[in-house]
Amino acid sequence: MAGLVVMAWVFPAHTSAQSRAPGGWLIPSYSPPPVTDANRKPAPRRSLAGTWIPFGRFGVATQAGGVASRPNNGRPENELPFTPFGLELYKSHKALEGVDAVRPADGNDPRNLCEPLGMPRSNHYNLNVTQIFENEHKVVILYQYDNRWRVIWTDGRQLPTLVDGAVELGGEIREQRFFGYSVGVWVDDFTLEVQTVGTMPEDRVWLDSTGRPISDQVRVIERFHRLDDDTMEWSETIDDPKVYTEPWETMRLTMRSHDTRTDVMEYYCSPVEQQNYNRFFGNDVSGK
Amino acid sequence: MRRWPVVGFMAVVGLLVHVPLRAHHGGAAFDVGKTVVLKGTVKEWLYSNPHCLLRLEVAAADGTVVVWIAEGQAPNTIFPAGYRKDSFTPGDQVTVTVEPAKEDRPMGRILESVLANGKKLGRASSAGAIP
Repeated sequence: MAGLVVMAWVFPAHTSAQSRAPGGWLIPSYSPPPVTDANRKPAPRRSLAGTWIPFGRFGVATQAGGVASRPNNGRPENELPFTPFGLELYKSHKALEGVDAVRPADGNDPRNLCEPLGMPRSNHYNLNVTQIFENEHKVVILYQYDNRWRVIWTDGRQLPTLVDGAVELGGEIREQRFFGYSVGVWVDDFTLEVQTVGTMPEDRVWLDSTGRPISDQVRVIERFHRLDDDTMEWSETIDDPKVYTEPWETMRLTMRSHDTRTDVMEYYCSPVEQQNYNRFFGNDVSGK
Repeated sequence: MRRWPVVGFMAVVGLLVHVPLRAHHGGAAFDVGKTVVLKGTVKEWLYSNPHCLLRLEVAAADGTVVVWIAEGQAPNTIFPAGYRKDSFTPGDQVTVTVEPAKEDRPMGRILESVLANGKKLGRASSAGAIP
């Protein structure tokens, strides 16, 4: 853990003219200066460490309308290759977003029970200020939403084998996890490829906020590619033969580096506050 | 926790205009594309998850007072637009533009606000605050 802390402090700070720090508490800069040929610096070798915020078009981080690469907006190019089981699963989900959205009181999104989003939905739900720490053994991602974290092992260990309802590790059966089991390999000095398996079954987690499903047979492939010192591309493809007939890309986001001293606001799921919201607003607005 | 009163009728205040808005959280409950301008007195501002909530007393043309409830996104999301825990305090006279709920409920999503001190804050009900 000490190594992780050290990595955080030695990582170079990025500042911008828009940054404010009342009382020394640095607020994220939501309009960082563009990276140009004049100010571009080379990316460090084999490092993702830093504080990152998605950069680009309106609402790209939140992915409220579905995963970034294929939002659930009814356009033909965003129709998904469901298996019959996957389509039935999708129809059973009552989401508050997307083309088939229902009113707040009619939804059955596990998020509204403050269930962990797990992998890969944590990549598709308000992916805002994201902190990455690393040492010689692992990369750790701190998600802003609900203060969740995950570990990607980069020490050469084996990726577990998927079996029915579990994973197998060196002859032992191990439990499913919300964030699964992640192993990363540096395919070059600026690209970390990560595979994740062993996630929770389809009755516990969704892929995105529009109710697209995901199963425990999914293999999630992520690539973290450093473009320069200030910019990283974070892409994800899912291969879930139980729900989808073919692998497909779910997101390809450009992340901008921010000052590592940036304060990160809490964005938590509280059952009490969720209940208050339903009582004061969600039920009435749904006609309940 | 106080129980907010439920008001079973709606008074349309200000102007109704059509503007294109992108679909976002809980869109099925709202009359997407319409706006209502509310001028009223703040009763309560909850800076909470998953949505901030503003309770506002609005006087209709006939003198009847209607309590509106307007939601913003979570504090983390609307922070960049300038919304803070003390943006609204009870008794403030404010103007809030909302996208109204369907079926004439006095509810809506905050699109923009003019605070008691005249400061104007932007969209509080979509992902627009996020880069």
